Amino acid sequence: MITLTNLSKIFRTELIETHALRDVNLQINEGEFAALTGPSGSGKSTLLNILGTLESFDSGDYLLDGKSVKGLSDAALSQLRNEKIGFIFQSFNLIKDFSIYDNIELPLRYRGLKAAERKQRIEQALELVGLHARRDYLPAQLSGGQQQRVAIARAIAGRPRILLADEPTGNLDSLMARQVMELLEQINQQGCTILMVTHDPDQARRAGRNIQIIDGQLHDSTMYEPLATQSA
Amino acid sequence: MEQFIYYLKVSLLSIKRAPLPYALTVFILSVGLGVFFANATFYYQLNSDPLPGKSDKLFFPMTLIAPYQCNDCRPPRALSYSNVQKLAASDIPSAQAAMYSSAGYARLTIDQPPTPARVRVTQRDFFQMFEVPLLHGSVWADDNAHNQVILSRSMALKLFGRTGVVGESLVLDDRNFSVIGVLDEWQMLPRLYDANGRNHLSPTEDIFLPLETGYDLNYLSNSYSQTYDDTDYRQLATEGRSGALHQLQYWVQLDTAAQQHDYQQYMQSLAEDEKAAGRHPAPINNQLVPMNEIVDYFGDDPGDIKAFALVTLLFLVVCLFNASHLALNRYLSNQYEFSLRRALGANRSQLQLQMLADVLLMTVFSLLGALLIGYAGVSLMNALLPQNSLFSTWDLTLITALILAALVCSYLVTLYPSLRASFGSLNQQLKE
Ligand SMILES: Nc1ncnc2c1ncn2[C@@H]1O[C@H](COP(=O)(O)OP(=O)(O)OP(=O)(O)O)[C@@H](O)[C@H]1O
Ligand SMILES: [Mg+2]
Repeated sequence: MITLTNLSKIFRTELIETHALRDVNLQINEGEFAALTGPSGSGKSTLLNILGTLESFDSGDYLLDGKSVKGLSDAALSQLRNEKIGFIFQSFNLIKDFSIYDNIELPLRYRGLKAAERKQRIEQALELVGLHARRDYLPAQLSGGQQQRVAIARAIAGRPRILLADEPTGNLDSLMARQVMELLEQINQQGCTILMVTHDPDQARRAGRNIQIIDGQLHDSTMYEPLATQSA
Repeated sequence: MEQFIYYLKVSLLSIKRAPLPYALTVFILSVGLGVFFANATFYYQLNSDPLPGKSDKLFFPMTLIAPYQCNDCRPPRALSYSNVQKLAASDIPSAQAAMYSSAGYARLTIDQPPTPARVRVTQRDFFQMFEVPLLHGSVWADDNAHNQVILSRSMALKLFGRTGVVGESLVLDDRNFSVIGVLDEWQMLPRLYDANGRNHLSPTEDIFLPLETGYDLNYLSNSYSQTYDDTDYRQLATEGRSGALHQLQYWVQLDTAAQQHDYQQYMQSLAEDEKAAGRHPAPINNQLVPMNEIVDYFGDDPGDIKAFALVTLLFLVVCLFNASHLALNRYLSNQYEFSLRRALGANRSQLQLQMLADVLLMTVFSLLGALLIGYAGVSLMNALLPQNSLFSTWDLTLITALILAALVCSYLVTLYPSLRASFGSLNQQLKE
């Protein structure tokens, strides 16, 4: 469902050019759970942002569901982000003074869903992440793991087909990280494609596929067949 | 609509997040707008047309019929009594009245303490020409001397405690007068009939006295007068009507272009006759200025108010920059939220609606502030410039202008910062 061909990204500042991505070729199929690993500064976030259409690219092409995103208008890109893609960030990015409920509602608002429909979807998402009882709390009143679960609820409430997660467990201790991983696996099993940046080799191994990126270049995707079957 | 209420709520929430910088932004904007509008009020009142539809039909004639030799001079602002008589001999105008301002002391009986009164010495057509509303009684029957006064409503209330006082008598400077008329509430603004200078924003006179009586009783003009010989004109009753004391403002009503043309003609031949008789040594220079050009003609547009208007405009611009700077900081500290909204699928127009909600709230708050500060400013200026003691009346036009200005300023203050914030690089913000 995602096809990148010879995609390159260069950040230009007045003094230097950074080749964040060089000739990246990548194919991600529907239903995959892929981990993206690599050293710091290798271009993982950049790749994720391009996939999420938050960032433009300089050359190559990006086909989403067979259609190129090049030249799409702002409105079309926004709609694409809103309906097909869910984002999860390392720092949760919840709005501090919005309740849990209001935070999850945000993308649904932008989609223009009716109040009843919004309510139903939010409750479903809250149910899934197990935070139904906390719907009126503020983010600060939750633990880090709970906050990340709220962020996940927000990302999936719009029922996206792809979930892009940038170090979703980077700010969590190992117990909470495991809970979040389990949640992501559960979501994946329901059919959602997931691409996750991680520094944790264990997590990478739990994913069905490991994509390595070094210095902006993609190294062969390694399949951890034995481990993947073990964990399944 | 429900969505826009949601945007308003979101705006309010983000204000609550950092109320102090926001309050400061609103305050700066309010001060700029308030001060500007306090001044604009004066400027606006000063330049408004007090008699729409008539201000181009009332004319102020001036001639150089004076024992004065000069080659290049303008005619004096005021006419002598004898010149008014010569002009008044014409029956071209539909109405005409000579007048001047003076002052006196009024009371009901001689044993009471006197009340200072501003007096307009004038003729009967004055009331009709300037559309002065009468509440009780009538104006004088003719332009002869009468011991009859017409009172302003506030003077009637001050002296008698009521307005229905036609037929009552009062003492003006130790002489008895009977009241024949009481005006309704009336304020011409700017008060252009007093074409003698910078009194255009001062209040209506308290007492109206017939011109002939004013001369008989030695009421001298307390604003503009000019003499061309050394006669002692304090003896107004005996000397004022014949000599060259120029103290009369004179207005004629010329309704049609034909009347205006004829009157100009009349003034021209009058000046020529006077020249032939040796009473007009200077070159002929007649002026017939319509009321709506009188301020320009005399250059009475008060320079200080104009300069002040400019200063307050600049001040407003400075305030705009400051407020915009503050707002920028506010938005930049919230920038990650813009990026987040974008990442969650908000398109630019949805963000702009959010911004519109911000503008709307900013407008409401700064408008309230500006009204308060503007009102305080007008009161302060009334205290500082009592000769312009305007009754801070803000009419619909002015209020509408203020609302529009607040809207535009709020928009400007919000526009640049939120554009900056919404076009910022997305990935950078969300990384933190
Ligand atoms: N907005 C930007 N302007 C200029 N250079 C940038 C920008 N964003 C990223 N870069 C550069 O691009 C390269 C890749 O950055 P990226 O954030 O994708 O790395 P990363 O793999 O996510 O690293 P980390 O693991 O530390 O999060 C880095 O060298 C970075 O300095
Ligand atoms: Mg990164």
